[in-house]
Amino acid sequence: MAKYKLWLYPLIWLAAALLAVGVLLAVNEPGRASPPTQETEAYCLGCHSNPELSMTLPGGEILPLYIDPAQLAESIHSPLGIECEACHTEIKTYPHPEVTVSTRQELSQAYHLSCQKCHSTIYENAQDSVHAQVSADNPNAPICTDCHGSHYTHPPDEPRALISTTCSNCHAQIYQEYKDSIHGSALIEEDNPDVPVCTDCHGVHNIQDPRTEQFRIASPEMCAGCHADAELMGKYGLPADVYNIYKLSWHGVDVSVYKARWPTVWHDSATCSDCHGVHDIRSTADPQSKVNAANRLATCQKCHSGVSENWTDAWTGHHAISLERTPLLYYIEVFYSSFTPVVLWIAGIYVVLQIVRNTVDRARRKPR
Amino acid sequence: MREQIMNSTTQTPAIRIIRFFQRFTLAQRWEHAILFLSFLVLLLTGLPQKYRAAAWSQQILATPEQVRLVQTIHHIAAIVLILEVIYHIARAIYLMARRSLPGDIFVTWRDVTDAGQMVAYLLFLRKDKPRFGKYNFEQKVTYWFFFIGIGILVISGLIIWFPEAATRILPGSVVPAAKMAHSTEAIVAGIFLVIWHFYHVHLERFNLSIFTGRLDEDDMQTYHALEYERLAGEKSGSDGGGQS
Repeated sequence: MAKYKLWLYPLIWLAAALLAVGVLLAVNEPGRASPPTQETEAYCLGCHSNPELSMTLPGGEILPLYIDPAQLAESIHSPLGIECEACHTEIKTYPHPEVTVSTRQELSQAYHLSCQKCHSTIYENAQDSVHAQVSADNPNAPICTDCHGSHYTHPPDEPRALISTTCSNCHAQIYQEYKDSIHGSALIEEDNPDVPVCTDCHGVHNIQDPRTEQFRIASPEMCAGCHADAELMGKYGLPADVYNIYKLSWHGVDVSVYKARWPTVWHDSATCSDCHGVHDIRSTADPQSKVNAANRLATCQKCHSGVSENWTDAWTGHHAISLERTPLLYYIEVFYSSFTPVVLWIAGIYVVLQIVRNTVDRARRKPR
Repeated sequence: MREQIMNSTTQTPAIRIIRFFQRFTLAQRWEHAILFLSFLVLLLTGLPQKYRAAAWSQQILATPEQVRLVQTIHHIAAIVLILEVIYHIARAIYLMARRSLPGDIFVTWRDVTDAGQMVAYLLFLRKDKPRFGKYNFEQKVTYWFFFIGIGILVISGLIIWFPEAATRILPGSVVPAAKMAHSTEAIVAGIFLVIWHFYHVHLERFNLSIFTGRLDEDDMQTYHALEYERLAGEKSGSDGGGQS
């Protein structure tokens, strides 16, 4: 028996036990998907890691079939064990079934349905979007993979500026305007965490048509989401009462009423973006700003055609009434806030005295 | 205008003669009626526009079409009021040119002393009211308060009705200023009307002379003693025209 080295047995047991615990821990690691059920990746990459691999679709387009194993390993799905067959459900082995689509677009549209299997809520939201609405007439309307990529999917907002560049793939001209705006330049040049990116105003998956009555009526409140936030505006030395003062203005009262009562009726009263611009909003101090003193008249004239230079002063800006900025308005307010109570109190007291005196006189007269 | 003593009426049982004195011409009564109606319509259509956020206003301004309708009515009533103001002033200028504008409504030093005496009377510091002429100082206050108030309302109203045209001549700051003045002045005038004018013509005594055009002898003696004496004196021919 001595030749079996009995003293080794406990060590072997210990090693086996450690291994078992390690495997259990690895399997039960929180946040991790259940153990990979489809170990298809290595199998598929056997062919698809060949950079030369491609095929010609029935429509004549060439479809590259190369998958970069390194990029795939860095994507969000593969390390979670969500491998090829999760989406390519119809491909079980080689040879593959016949390709029935004729273009790459059709292929993407067929495959993006598999996103729904896991991301059902997001998928539903996307079906409500303006992109889904136009997809019937426009084959270029984006689907999941157009923004998120197909095989090399990454978090879409790392860095934040990535969102804007993703949208710019189609909306290139708007991106050019945005890039030079106060919001866009802060995002792209400084990676500012506070400025809005496309999705902050337009929504993410259920992006709506921004040309509708509903979008227009809700837009001032959208701007107010940041511009009425005193803490956030304080960081940049901007006033946070602009929205509240706007709501008292001629335009703002109109917009508030339409918003509360007729949100589906088009209104012509100026909203934030009518004066400040949409994607090309600039600091009011910027000579290119639509509301800079140099351009203000032209901006007013968009609605108030042919008004004179004086007209721009009719807008008191987003400022409370003050002696320095709006002296005429200030004096009228002072006049009425003193004149009104004085006149009405005097009139009221005088009439009460008359009633008292008349009543007393009448009472005195009666006994006679 | 020449006041005359109007026809006397006789009452059947005991013979009692009530003499009426003409106080307002037919034209003046029409002016008051137009002023009253246009001001009422302007107030009723203006208030919901001022208080657009209030629930009661939104009942009236229920749809965008309704808002435009109310604004149109307001503008039509405004035109009526403006025409009335133009007529009133033009007529005054015409009479002034002919040197026949009656001076009764103008404020004199006498009105200031009358007011002082009246306050003393109301505070039981005097036994009797002061004796008034054709228009007592309360009535002059009413007239001039509305004369100036309607002036402010008409000018500011025209500015906010035609702001683009107004700023061709005037600085832009008049537009928000006119907006504030218009809506504030209207409220002040409205409340003043209810407190002051309604008390004096409805409660103190029910005075319909602005509609009937005349006042009986009792009221003339009680409220416009000086005017009564002047007219009665003229009638008897004893004492000629001392203006009161």
